[in-house]
Amino acid sequence: MTADLSRLLNALGLVALDTVLVLAFADQLWFRDLPCPICILQRAGFIAAGFGLALNLMFGPRPSHYGLAIMGALVGGVISADQVLHYVVPGSGSYGNAIFGLHLYTWALISFVAIVAGSSVMLLFDHQFQSTMPLPPPMTLLPLSAVALLALLVVGNVASTLAICGVGLCPEMPGGYLIFHENLGLAFKSP
Amino acid sequence: MMSLPFVLFAFGLGAAWTSQREVAMGFWVAGVLVLLVLFRFHATDVLNLGL
Repeated sequence: MTADLSRLLNALGLVALDTVLVLAFADQLWFRDLPCPICILQRAGFIAAGFGLALNLMFGPRPSHYGLAIMGALVGGVISADQVLHYVVPGSGSYGNAIFGLHLYTWALISFVAIVAGSSVMLLFDHQFQSTMPLPPPMTLLPLSAVALLALLVVGNVASTLAICGVGLCPEMPGGYLIFHENLGLAFKSP
Repeated sequence: MMSLPFVLFAFGLGAAWTSQREVAMGFWVAGVLVLLVLFRFHATDVLNLGL
């Protein structure tokens, strides 16, 4: 596998990962399905995994970058597995909306496993690491868009998490955007 | 507090954008450590499982 093909596959992987985060935002904003604290941490896990792919695109493919992606996905996978195990027993309830029959934390666990598997397979191809150029070539449109979208989603998650949780830890069952009610004192009082 | 991992990852991406690879990886490590600590704070319920 050439470095160019590796770069393309990393870009496609990062686009897929960006899509997961965009869908999470769509669920939050469109369907008013506020993320629970553990769900927010899973989003951070996706970003930690995507960070490794972004480094591959910016600096060229390296085993250490795949290592970051795998470790980020493992951390996210542990967090989502914890949530799946909370609701795995029949009758123990669920959190949020189901999409195609599975809840978001289950899709998250499947996605994290896919990231670990994909990155592990990519590590098998040594030729991508043997670049003769001292500096990686400038990013083309697809990798640049994928990295820029990841950066935008990170900033969006900073704002969203601050809005939902305020400046402290999140409530276990978020009932609204806390920062407007408590930290900024903007709650409207009923007469 | 909960937004701290995202802030650290944002700084990491900023460092990577300015070609500071080691600094970016340092921010990534800090972000993941904070993420694990926050998980520890929030994963307080005992799982109802018999393993």
